[in-house]
Amino acid sequence: MGTPESTTTERTIRTRAAELTDQPLTLLTVAVFWTWLVVRWTNDFLLDGALIERGTSFFPTAPFEAAASALGSLAASLGPVGFPVGWVAGFFEFLAASIPYLPELAIGVWATILLTVLGIALGFVIAVPLSVARVYGGTITRSLALGYTELFRGTPLLAQLFVLYFATPLTTVIRELPTVGTGFIPAQAFWVAVIAFTLNSAAYQSEYIRSALNSVPEGQLTAARAIGLSKVDGIRHVVLPQGLRYAIPGWSNELVYLIKYSSLASFITVRELFERTDAIASETYRYTELFVLAGLFYLALVISASLLMEYVEEQVAIPGLGTTGR
Amino acid sequence: MSDPLLALDDVYKSYGEEQVLSGVSFEMDAGDVDVVIGPSGSGKSTMLRCVNRLTEIDSGDIYLDGDCVTDADTDVNELRKQVGMVFQDFNLFAHLTALGNVTLGLRKVRGMDKATARERGYEHLEQVGLSDQADSYPAELSGGQKQRVGIARALAMDPKLLLFDEPTSALDPELVGEVVEVMRDLAAEGITMLVVSHEMGFARSAASDIIFLDEGRIVEHGPPEQLFENPQAARTGEFLSRLETTHEGE
Ligand SMILES: Nc1ncnc2c1ncn2[C@@H]1O[C@H](COP(=O)(O)OP(=O)(O)O)[C@@H](O)[C@H]1O
Ligand SMILES: [Mg+2]
Repeated sequence: MGTPESTTTERTIRTRAAELTDQPLTLLTVAVFWTWLVVRWTNDFLLDGALIERGTSFFPTAPFEAAASALGSLAASLGPVGFPVGWVAGFFEFLAASIPYLPELAIGVWATILLTVLGIALGFVIAVPLSVARVYGGTITRSLALGYTELFRGTPLLAQLFVLYFATPLTTVIRELPTVGTGFIPAQAFWVAVIAFTLNSAAYQSEYIRSALNSVPEGQLTAARAIGLSKVDGIRHVVLPQGLRYAIPGWSNELVYLIKYSSLASFITVRELFERTDAIASETYRYTELFVLAGLFYLALVISASLLMEYVEEQVAIPGLGTTGR
Repeated sequence: MSDPLLALDDVYKSYGEEQVLSGVSFEMDAGDVDVVIGPSGSGKSTMLRCVNRLTEIDSGDIYLDGDCVTDADTDVNELRKQVGMVFQDFNLFAHLTALGNVTLGLRKVRGMDKATARERGYEHLEQVGLSDQADSYPAELSGGQKQRVGIARALAMDPKLLLFDEPTSALDPELVGEVVEVMRDLAAEGITMLVVSHEMGFARSAASDIIFLDEGRIVEHGPPEQLFENPQAARTGEFLSRLETTHEGE
């Protein structure tokens, strides 16, 4: 079992996630958000703007503007007691103002998701052997893995992005690769960011997985070895299937962090959600609307990730294993 | 006369300063059931673990069916296929069902296909009376059932020798019986067993020999009648009378 602290964290996460699925409004919002995103992407990337011209919003602004001005005059006529109506008017104004930018932001969301998913998935592939090396390795592999983890956890992610982007030939090498930057294959900066997130996330994920592996009782590997499995096979067939289940709550945390940290990629010109928001805002000076909108999108992504992880955790749950024991 | 199935010859083992086994030697033939008794910390678990090389010995030799298994070039995984082990705290694979526990070795060690392994797995669960619990996870089983799955898991590998390390001492008293019964059946079938246990009923009825281990040395080794009725060493008698008064094994 984990330390008391980690158990508490796991509980907190689980409680929050459990509450999420109990809220129909949350589920509905998430469903609407994803439907819109998928239709938008399909139209812009795959159908070449067949449903609606690229960059043009699905939603007309006029009704929202009309509603806003009608409510505005109503609020004015009500005098001092009209302020709640004024707020509603403000909300419609916000919607009317946001609608033209939705298509552009949807493209940014695509890059954000791609960055996060690739970073977490590739990071996982590195994190598993890294954590196994930390727990079961000899002195040398152990300290190499420790060095890696400390290096990437101990330095700022932004610095890692800058070093990879500016100080290594990575950018030039990737630029020369075929198809990079054409169609919906993002340009080289995106791939540099993926590499940085992969390396960085691997370090964090390996910490979660390492402590999860440590919470698998020693007798499990002993029993595996006693039936004639080699150490590697015992780790693979007995320790990892248990440890990875213990790691899910921490791993979900890392996913949520990475969604938000992926905004750092904007510093090396990756056209993800934050970068798009910032670019449009500095053109239109509509900072408030745009960053509120971006914030809501990040929130929707984070909630979606929590829901997904809650689902995964339920799917792989085994009676008596970890906090999911039923 | 044929080779003994298991032979320990002058085995020494220490942890740092602490001498745990000091020249342990004994032999057992195929079909024998030897029960090891002795105070806590006398080296019983260590001795068992040396046999399947979960622990490496310092000096001496251990022979299984005539082969020296403590040679540096012995393939330990090959050795462990031939020596099953049953643990005090069961150590069932927590993420696998009862059947999964029994078939893991068949599939990943013996390389059996899934269907054959399942079939064999069911047979071994049947042998310990648990085929109806095949799909239960360890957390859903009682202690006695867990240990019976543990026995089935060891049996499935078709070992030449089964090692038991206090198989009933983690169990509630009312669950001891079902495990002892399974062990008696195995003994009756002629399976060679080396059992660390203070379950005196089992020792009296099923043991070929009793080995009394104290401070890493075999103090006395003989048939149950001799050890229980007429112990040769003073310490054996003391230990046995202490066992009787406390009514519990360590
Ligand atoms: N892995 C180990 N490291 C250090 N000391 C050990 C280890 N295993 C056992 N010992 C020591 O060896 C002695 C014998 O232990 P053990 O074989 O478990 O005795 P028993 O099973 O008879 O109670 C004990 O004093 C114990 O502390
Ligand atoms: Mg012991």
